[in-house]
Amino acid sequence: MIRAVALRALRQLAIVPIVAVASYFLMAALPLQIDDESKRALPADLVASYRKDLGLGEPLGVLRPWEKLFAGERLGTSAQGVTGAEMLEKLAGSVGVGLMALALALVWAFAWALVRVLVVEPRSPGASDVVPAIAFGTPVFIPALLLVPAVAEAGYLLPELAAALVISIWPGVFLGSLLADGLGDELRRDYVRTAKGKGLAAHEVLRRHVLPNVLPVLLDALGPVATALLAGSFAAERVLGLPYFGQLYVVAVLQKQLAVVVVATTLFASVLVVVTVAVELVRAFVDPRSREERTA
Amino acid sequence: MKRRVAFVGLGLLALLWGTSFVFGRLAPGVLAAHCPFGRDVLRPDQTVCELSFGGLWVSLGIGLSAGAIATILGLVIAASARGAGGGAERWILRFADSFFALPDVLVLMVIQLAGQLLGDVDPALKASPPVLMVISLALVGWAGPTRMFRNRLASLEAQEFIAAARALGSSRGHLLRRHLWPGLRGFALTVFLSRVPAAILAESTVSFFGIARMEPMSLGRYLGTSYSALIYEDGGRIVLPAWGLLIAVVLASTLASRGLSVPERAR
Repeated sequence: MIRAVALRALRQLAIVPIVAVASYFLMAALPLQIDDESKRALPADLVASYRKDLGLGEPLGVLRPWEKLFAGERLGTSAQGVTGAEMLEKLAGSVGVGLMALALALVWAFAWALVRVLVVEPRSPGASDVVPAIAFGTPVFIPALLLVPAVAEAGYLLPELAAALVISIWPGVFLGSLLADGLGDELRRDYVRTAKGKGLAAHEVLRRHVLPNVLPVLLDALGPVATALLAGSFAAERVLGLPYFGQLYVVAVLQKQLAVVVVATTLFASVLVVVTVAVELVRAFVDPRSREERTA
Repeated sequence: MKRRVAFVGLGLLALLWGTSFVFGRLAPGVLAAHCPFGRDVLRPDQTVCELSFGGLWVSLGIGLSAGAIATILGLVIAASARGAGGGAERWILRFADSFFALPDVLVLMVIQLAGQLLGDVDPALKASPPVLMVISLALVGWAGPTRMFRNRLASLEAQEFIAAARALGSSRGHLLRRHLWPGLRGFALTVFLSRVPAAILAESTVSFFGIARMEPMSLGRYLGTSYSALIYEDGGRIVLPAWGLLIAVVLASTLASRGLSVPERAR
């Protein structure tokens, strides 16, 4: 089992250098100029600084941002650039918000799944599409803005918790809908009827038999959900004034800090690879079928 | 029942696009003269209806075009990967996975920036904002459909009727055209429809960051640039109509794709 998970992790790790090289060449292809109304070309010394920062024209220039990062130098061509340590600090902030959001999303997921299966579907089946539509059709910056008075003026909420709260809504409802679909299918199966017929209480049937069969569905969706949480954190951090990785990335793109964009993109991909590997490990423990598939 | 749900969703999408195009493009005076929400704060020469409902057809047009291109790209790449098989298939999927691993908005921002810079430097390469947005969204959106189509193709190819067709000497093209495509058609439509609201939301988020320069005004850009009115007194009348329209688009797409996702034989 460990060998199978390690192999899967190695395959996932191959994504990181692909992202690093692709983002480098995309950034290297960008023309350099001042973004004002006259669209003037940059002064020669600044162009040289940009080229040096990204290692353009150098053999193995693709490694230049990483050399600077590991040497502890500042990435970027101006005072807005960041060191590797600062970048990791900001990443830790965003990951912290993301983990809080994931925990909240799982709470929303279970709550929405139970409400949908037990309340909404028996009474008005058509209504079960409305809540996901509202959740998906609401850009993160709208609920984030609605929480600003509670965060900034009244001080009722920590900005980090507010960000986690708003970015967890859609992933929570999405996971909840998957869970509800899975629960609906499983509750109609024979083994549930048999367990109930043998006198097992309904909540025991749910906890001991049904949920273990539904959990793999949740695990399959955790990768895309992690991506959605990180993407959502960009907008929430901006509205709530959190100085973390999302803000760093947006500012780097707007200010054309190309080396920062390359390294930040690759770090994002690395975080998502770690999430995928963690999901594989959890799956190997909770889902015996995944172990059978891999040993077969 | 499911088919009726699909028709309701598709009908709602067509109605939203059609009325928005008529009143936003062909007869804008109606929305200017009869708007219950009054004038916009940032653009006082236009009403909220002109900007939100009048921009819906632009956003829907962008979403539909980008969704269609991304779906076709995904289909072609997935079919090519399955056709190539072995190591080539694994590497194509790995590349798609690495693209899919990145948040849409992040890649979209970089592609938009690249497109705008290229256009500024060389006017011959300058694309109009809607075209640049469609290209960016399609380039961002192909990876998910590729993975889904590849998995669908793999499961279809494992079925007995495909093995029988192969044994009778069917070529790859014949298999794809006569046996695989009918099983893939409804799924492709579902994938396409699921991309439409995602594209509008991504467009809105990129506008919120101040990166996209969409002209004419789209619903996504309007929502992304006027959302701050929500915390001011009387700001709800500016943001809520656009927000409601976005939810209506998501609901229509969800209903349509849910209805179409039923397998052909189950109908």
